[in-house]
Amino acid sequence: MAAVLTLVLLLSMVGCGSSDGKTHLTFQIWDTSQQAGMEAMCEAYTAQHPDVVIDVQIVSWSEYWTKLEAAAESSTMPDIFWMHTNQLLYYADFGMLADVTNLYDDVESGYYQNHFSDISLNNVSGSDGHYYGVPKDKDNGVLVYNKEMFDSAGVAYPDDSWTWDDLVDASQKIHDATGNYGYLAYSDDQLGYWAYVYQNGGYILNADKTAAGYNEPGGKEAMEFYIGMQKEDWCPDQTFFTQNGAGSTFWSEKGAMFMEGSWSLLGALQNNPQMDGKWDIAKLPKDPNPVSTPESLDKDGRACISNGLCYSTAAHGKNREVALDVIKYFGTEEAQLIQGRSGAAIPAYLGTEESWRTAWEQYDYKINLDCVFEQFDYAIQIPYNSASPRWKSQVLDVLTQIYAGNQEIDSGLDQMTEIVNTETAKKLAGN
Amino acid sequence: MKKTRLSAAQRREENWGWIMVAPTIIGLFVLNIWPFIQTIYTSFCEHLGFGHYKFIGIQNYIDMFGSTEFWKATWNTVWFCFLTVPVGIILALFVAMLLNTKVKFKGGFRTIFFLPLVCAPAAVAMVWQWIFNGQYGILNQILGTNIQWITNSRTAVVAVAIVSVWSSVGYDAVLLLAGLQNIPKTLYEANSIDGAGKVRQFFTITVPMISPSLFSVLIMRLMASMKVYDLIYMMSDETNPAMADMQSLMYLFYRSSFVAGDRGYGSAIVIWTVALILLVTLIQFWGQKKWVTYDI
Repeated sequence: MAAVLTLVLLLSMVGCGSSDGKTHLTFQIWDTSQQAGMEAMCEAYTAQHPDVVIDVQIVSWSEYWTKLEAAAESSTMPDIFWMHTNQLLYYADFGMLADVTNLYDDVESGYYQNHFSDISLNNVSGSDGHYYGVPKDKDNGVLVYNKEMFDSAGVAYPDDSWTWDDLVDASQKIHDATGNYGYLAYSDDQLGYWAYVYQNGGYILNADKTAAGYNEPGGKEAMEFYIGMQKEDWCPDQTFFTQNGAGSTFWSEKGAMFMEGSWSLLGALQNNPQMDGKWDIAKLPKDPNPVSTPESLDKDGRACISNGLCYSTAAHGKNREVALDVIKYFGTEEAQLIQGRSGAAIPAYLGTEESWRTAWEQYDYKINLDCVFEQFDYAIQIPYNSASPRWKSQVLDVLTQIYAGNQEIDSGLDQMTEIVNTETAKKLAGN
Repeated sequence: MKKTRLSAAQRREENWGWIMVAPTIIGLFVLNIWPFIQTIYTSFCEHLGFGHYKFIGIQNYIDMFGSTEFWKATWNTVWFCFLTVPVGIILALFVAMLLNTKVKFKGGFRTIFFLPLVCAPAAVAMVWQWIFNGQYGILNQILGTNIQWITNSRTAVVAVAIVSVWSSVGYDAVLLLAGLQNIPKTLYEANSIDGAGKVRQFFTITVPMISPSLFSVLIMRLMASMKVYDLIYMMSDETNPAMADMQSLMYLFYRSSFVAGDRGYGSAIVIWTVALILLVTLIQFWGQKKWVTYDI
């Protein structure tokens, strides 16, 4: 046993060193379902650069940020890693990420502006306006629904004209007719109340990202609607969702509708073959009667939240130059097409988005992918600021208390707003 | 005053002594003592990010003692200890005594009771999560009840305590079993000749004779219960409405330090927990003089 362990240790040490004369890079991501796509991109790169070896490593989302921060402190960050909008400012403002603003200067002037959307570029910008990551993908949330349950309740499928009222109405009818749950309104921001707040003319963060708007008229009305759905008999309450999850409830055919991220759809199709023919996706229902305020980003009741990840490398990494060259490649049309075709995610590179459809072709069952693409027309950038890592969990704590019935919704929303404002002011004063 | 001079041989021997204990001392210092000193310092600081700290005096402690969430977590921890330690030890003693009797397949039973300890805590928590599931869980099916074990503020701690006791009983029982087997049979024989019944034998022979084992099990179990974290982390999540009523001090520390990134505040919670454990342990060492027998 001891001999085996020693051997394993020795082998792993050999693995770390570059005894083969090649540059070994680590590439850290959190999503297993995108591993194949990422590896395909790495293979395409190493085919052109045989002296580089890239090892894709998975760290689950729940530990990703704890580990990455610890690694950043001890200057042992992976060579390449996914960066999330919520965290980018925190890392970038502390000088942890390599500045990639001039990465493509030798290729084309204005490369970023020509090939990526404003939302994508905002997602990778530090507080100083420089870019700290190469845009990877973009996403949004759609309404997933169970066709069978709509049929047995005699309700028409969701279409473009669908509003919140139709959502409530259909949920009630489906519940009455089948005994199953209607819309699964679980506690979540990106796949929950955020979209409702913006549809209603409210905002989570104001235009300069210094103040929150949970308790502004638009925000409050939407939050009341969203949280209030759990009081209906067609929607489970939060104690149910904590134990069972909205996704499992839908896929085990106990609920008729829920909001899901575009990044999870392909996995859902692959993992639930028993549901082929029984489900489809639609655009999010719009707000029939949005509040109109000067801050309203959207006034026709439509909105969806869009986020995008990026590829970053450490500011002072050992293999910085090689890593920069790799992420430079990841931002090219060629690499983004590989990513898209693998079905990993919708590429950020403008004009390559449709390649995402390729991955779906091998499956017989087709869903209405158009609505994902059409929703980008009125997508709103995921609300975040440099203090996001500080306020997110505190805001969630208050929200959980509201769901638990321990806190009135009005005072809770005030408190959530205050938490964001205080943490943001503290952060801005500190810099 | 006369200095005692060591001979060269004695000095050499002394040096070797130091070299021999060096690995342990260095390890202890690097892995335990130094981080502890750092934690104390951190508790007086605000974490700015990536290991940069700003000294802010006792502000973290002021915030902490003024926080209802913190007092709730302290209470939850005490309540959890109350639920797990007495029940756990009594059960362990009961199991140990059963395993010490002449039953068939004794080895098999011992293995079965020890099994929970060799299961990964994460797997244990996952399985129990399903057992406790309010809608589809087997426990509610058997009892014919509709209790939301993990998400009801009153039952959440109880549910975690049940899992904790379940996982620790086997290990504690093995320790107590070793104590039981060391009791000379002659004591029981002499005692029964004197006309004592089983109950009396238990209190006058068994308990005093295994009191050292009981004492070490008690200390270990109490410390482990005060530091409970993994079970709560695995069995619950942040959107659980009962979170405030089930989170322990260590779980609150984890969330403050690593989820919210407020390591100064998190460190203050750790220092508070250390103080609590210290206090409880001191009381126990003082109390053991009253009931623990080390010689006959």
